[in-house]
Amino acid sequence: MKKILALLLIITLMFSLIGCGKAKQEDASSASGNTSNTENSSENNNETKDGEPVKLRIVMKDLSPSNPGDVKYIEELEKALAKKDINVKFEIVETPSGNYAEKLNLLLLGEDIPDIIYFQGGDKQIAEQGILEDLTPYIEKSEIIQKAMLPHNKKRMENYPYLIWLKPIKTKAPVVRSDWFEASKTGKALLDNPTIDNYYKFLKELKEKDFSGDGMPKYGLTVSGNIIELDSIFNQAFGITGAWVKDSEGKYVYGKVSEFEKEKLAFYHKLYKEGILDPEYLTKKWDTKEKAFYDNTVGLIIGSTGKVIDIYDGKMKKANGQEASLTVLPPAKGKGQGYLPIDVTKESRGIAISALSPNKELAFKVIEFLASDEGQMLDRLGFEGEHYEVKDGKIHLTEKSQEWFAKFFEVHSWEPTKKIATPLLSEPAVDSMKKAEKYYVEDTNFMIPEGFVASWDAMTNLYKEYSADIITGKKSIEEFDTFVKQWYEAGGKEITEFANKLLK
Amino acid sequence: MQNLLSPKKRNPKRIINKLKEDWILYLLIAPCILYFILFHYFPLIGMKLAFEDYRIIGDNVFVGFKHFNTLFKSPAFFKVLKNTVIISTMKILICFPIPIVLSLLINEIRSSKYRKYVQSVVYLPHFLSWVVIAGIWISLLSTSTGAVNQIIEAFNGTPVDYMTSKKHIRWVLVFSEMWRSAGWDSIIYLAAITKISYSLYEAAMVEGANRWQQTIHITLPELRATIVTVFILNLGFFMNAGFDQVYNMMNDSVISVVDILDTYVYRVGLANGQYAYATAASLFKGVIGIILISSTHMISKKLTGKGIW
Repeated sequence: MKKILALLLIITLMFSLIGCGKAKQEDASSASGNTSNTENSSENNNETKDGEPVKLRIVMKDLSPSNPGDVKYIEELEKALAKKDINVKFEIVETPSGNYAEKLNLLLLGEDIPDIIYFQGGDKQIAEQGILEDLTPYIEKSEIIQKAMLPHNKKRMENYPYLIWLKPIKTKAPVVRSDWFEASKTGKALLDNPTIDNYYKFLKELKEKDFSGDGMPKYGLTVSGNIIELDSIFNQAFGITGAWVKDSEGKYVYGKVSEFEKEKLAFYHKLYKEGILDPEYLTKKWDTKEKAFYDNTVGLIIGSTGKVIDIYDGKMKKANGQEASLTVLPPAKGKGQGYLPIDVTKESRGIAISALSPNKELAFKVIEFLASDEGQMLDRLGFEGEHYEVKDGKIHLTEKSQEWFAKFFEVHSWEPTKKIATPLLSEPAVDSMKKAEKYYVEDTNFMIPEGFVASWDAMTNLYKEYSADIITGKKSIEEFDTFVKQWYEAGGKEITEFANKLLK
Repeated sequence: MQNLLSPKKRNPKRIINKLKEDWILYLLIAPCILYFILFHYFPLIGMKLAFEDYRIIGDNVFVGFKHFNTLFKSPAFFKVLKNTVIISTMKILICFPIPIVLSLLINEIRSSKYRKYVQSVVYLPHFLSWVVIAGIWISLLSTSTGAVNQIIEAFNGTPVDYMTSKKHIRWVLVFSEMWRSAGWDSIIYLAAITKISYSLYEAAMVEGANRWQQTIHITLPELRATIVTVFILNLGFFMNAGFDQVYNMMNDSVISVVDILDTYVYRVGLANGQYAYATAASLFKGVIGIILISSTHMISKKLTGKGIW
């Protein structure tokens, strides 16, 4: 009996080991789209020679073959595409759990290259190896995509033609409880004239006045671990108009080592010293930052425009009642005015087509469909009867619609054919998107070349530590000059020369 | 197995006979051997990537020591190497003896129910991820709501922001590591203690030795082989100062004192898709690990006669 049990155990273990190997083999055999189905297809046909749909392999974050909702979505997409005479059968490639960008890169470096690939970073190295298709000629021929592209999308595509991501401008904007904002003495002045000083007065009032009746908020504002969010309000006002700014001689200098930065850090230190800035901001993560906002410990936080602010608004109302809806504040006004400058060197995430795919035209047709009215209807609203219902000629979103999010694009100009009874986003979220457009500032930046990557990492860390130490008072503002000297010694001199040649 | 490889019995017939005789034992060990070959030895071939530029299409390009040169010339490399060595040394010096002490203490608990309870409590942190542990420690050490600072304030002390203090953060790493792993690591010593012959204790009791003397003169000497083996094996991981822990506990204010080789490689190598560069750094770490294991083994053999083989 023992021998039989041992034998069974061994067989199970062997099968599991062989199983691992077999899965790998299967993966390898389907690499580069070399499946029999794709071999039968020709570049410009929407179906294989034998009339079967063409197999397209797709890899995307939050799209898994083991999730029934995702499988249904893909089936619906296939049906909608078929109506447009685009006969495809998608195969969702699953990436292991964990950091998507990392796992995707490992998949691609293992020579398993799907036809349609969603990147969330790490694409540059893949593009440099010639794996990604230049999308420019496809876009030139596509009216739908051209119409859906915003100016920042066009600039990014000019600089880096491998990724497409059709979403409204996304930046970070400050939000505060509307009831507190209206009850404040300094709020109106801030809205009328959002100078740095008026911002300071408002944040100070948030800290000092007992808005909640139980001593809250304790602090004016908090951020999650670093000052990027704070920069979204103040950078432009202090004159840091982009990653690289011009000095008095008209030469480009890195914004973080400029005199403007020194002035800004001194201001941040003042906020910290007076207890306006949460003293524990360095150890805050996104979740603890939000918690501090909802439980009224802080009066103001900064979040991504659009959906994130929509979530903030919903959660704040749930925690503190309907009157606690949010007000979106404008960026501070000074030498300039704007939220964080928008980087147009490339899309930071987006959809790419494999240059090795035998079905590139077809893959682009899928992308084009997703940006069309029909594609947006499916991608933005979900399934009829589940996420929305059509009653009296209007679209009514169901409770389940809260769980739905657009997996691909959010075309700015898209309007559903029928009126939506319930708005897709809350008022503050819509307002944040309008303000993001109004205060749009284009960044002056470039992609760090491979040869500078290691020294750039050292320089970035040097800035992070000096800025944190200056803000928290561990170092005096005078030591900013020592930081600048060290930054140039760590490779800043070479990169500044490079910047001045490149940006001109 | 020893008989099988013995020079005296290399007769193929004897080997086949032996295999037939103990086939079930060889079959039982086969999946383990297969596992190690497939997942531990076979991937070693991939280490050649450290000397190449990776190409998805076509053959990789041999570049010799290019990636090692970049690594050693990087302005941050020696800083992160220094941090790795300091944090690892602190962890080994402070965390290594704790499981031994803990196992001795647990062994002294007479009530089996209470012993099981203590064991369960001290093992528990091992099953928590570093994301959760970092959250717990950040809350615990918070200047406004943390228990540690509230105790300090109760004694009229000034709160200390341990998480952002360059002076304290390495100690936070050491003590959080200790909290997480001391219980789990004590299992091996507890197992070794149960193997010690009870007759030794009986003889000592007859001679009038008390519990302390029994621990010092019987338990600890009997544990020597286990301690040496675990110590040498731990040294093999010397260059792994704890990526998950540091990554979750690091903040802008303490980068210069806690940025270790693994976090550096993650940022510069993996996050930027520089896999060959990351492989070169891993190979460097591996070589250091092998040197440490071999040299400690040899020193230990000479001094105590015990090693890992």
